[in-house]
Amino acid sequence: MNFDGNFKFNAPREKVWKFFMNPDMLAKCLPGCEKLEAKGENSYEAIVKIGISVVKGEYSGKVELKDIVTPSHYRLVGEGGGLSGFVKGEVTMDLEEESDKTIVKWKSVAQIGGLIAGVGQRMLSGVAKILTNQFFKDMEKELTKEESL
Amino acid sequence: MKPFSFEYFKPNNIDEAISLLNGYGEDAVILAGGQSLIPLMNLRLARPKYIIDINKIAELSYIKDTNGGLSIGALTRHREIEKSDIIKSKYPILSKTVSLIGNPQIRNWGTIGGSISHADPAGELPTLLLALNGKVKVVGNQGEREIDGDDLFLGYLTTSMEKTEILREVYIPEISPKMGWEFVELTKRSHDFAIVSVAVLMSIDNAGKCNDVRISLGGVGSMPVRAKGAEEFLLDKAINDDSINEAANIASEEAEPESDIHASAKYRKEMVKVFVNRGLISALDRVRG
Repeated sequence: MNFDGNFKFNAPREKVWKFFMNPDMLAKCLPGCEKLEAKGENSYEAIVKIGISVVKGEYSGKVELKDIVTPSHYRLVGEGGGLSGFVKGEVTMDLEEESDKTIVKWKSVAQIGGLIAGVGQRMLSGVAKILTNQFFKDMEKELTKEESL
Repeated sequence: MKPFSFEYFKPNNIDEAISLLNGYGEDAVILAGGQSLIPLMNLRLARPKYIIDINKIAELSYIKDTNGGLSIGALTRHREIEKSDIIKSKYPILSKTVSLIGNPQIRNWGTIGGSISHADPAGELPTLLLALNGKVKVVGNQGEREIDGDDLFLGYLTTSMEKTEILREVYIPEISPKMGWEFVELTKRSHDFAIVSVAVLMSIDNAGKCNDVRISLGGVGSMPVRAKGAEEFLLDKAINDDSINEAANIASEEAEPESDIHASAKYRKEMVKVFVNRGLISALDRVRG
């Protein structure tokens, strides 16, 4: 499953970058994130509870930040699993400046297997897009909140 | 194919069901006909801790033809709707649509309230509800409220109903006998989920111009949608092959389907064109008698 998109933040790149590198912010905005604990430099252990309606699952796994080029690029590589299936994938983030705003271009490649992939396939990519949008919107909300402080 | 363990309740009336739902909140789920929930549980994709089975609440099962509309109790089985004479004569699009749901066994158990509140974007009834300008009555401990079909579906398996509310009734405003109609869907096998489904209702005036049209699409995104652009295009226009083709093109352009294991987004868009076209032609035939 591959998909990509971009999201415009009303803030300068340095600031957006700081936000995207801050594990507390990521944990706050990642849909269903219950835990994001540092396990080493740029590597974390995560537990997320995601799903829709009655179809919910808890997944745990590892997330690593790689190829970091401050303040414009990084790759988030992760894999994890739960009772309903497993996921392995990566998201590449590129932050571009546009006057005093920032465009985050992201591209993700994911392999999903197990039960959820077989039975839930019909809705997987749609749900993944919804969750991704939710993540970026929440990040923007947090950014705006901090600016108004 | 065995579910996780759960606690089971079978309330005698709606009040009991609502109080159970309030008590167990997020972890509870309503069991009606069970044609979506039970397979999800058996596959262990859904693992609710508490099941509130409403099958004993007989007052939730009825079909009432009232002045100006049709009221159907949430627990009414698809098969009862399919066989109802009053629905066959006054709401034939509903009879046909329900006959396309699953197979007879599924229709014997499945309920209108269950199908609509499950909000599967490929389900027949959610799609039809939009074209019928239907609404639902839901009840919770704050009392009863109505939700228009347009405001009900929020995304995959998600509605604007609160977790502690139960769908009590589906209401469908009267359909003028002058309206032509059609419900068509593309499925790989007859009882599969629709790859694309289209509901059409249309009427034309004496001059042959369209004076009311509603087109809804299922299976093409996270929830059923009205093809508003195509509807606007057809309104006040002479209905002929050209205008029908153009409306089908517009519907196809405005649809935003996803790709999945059954069909690519591009194919779905193409099929929206084909099925809106078919639906409109058939509705026009019915208008002309």
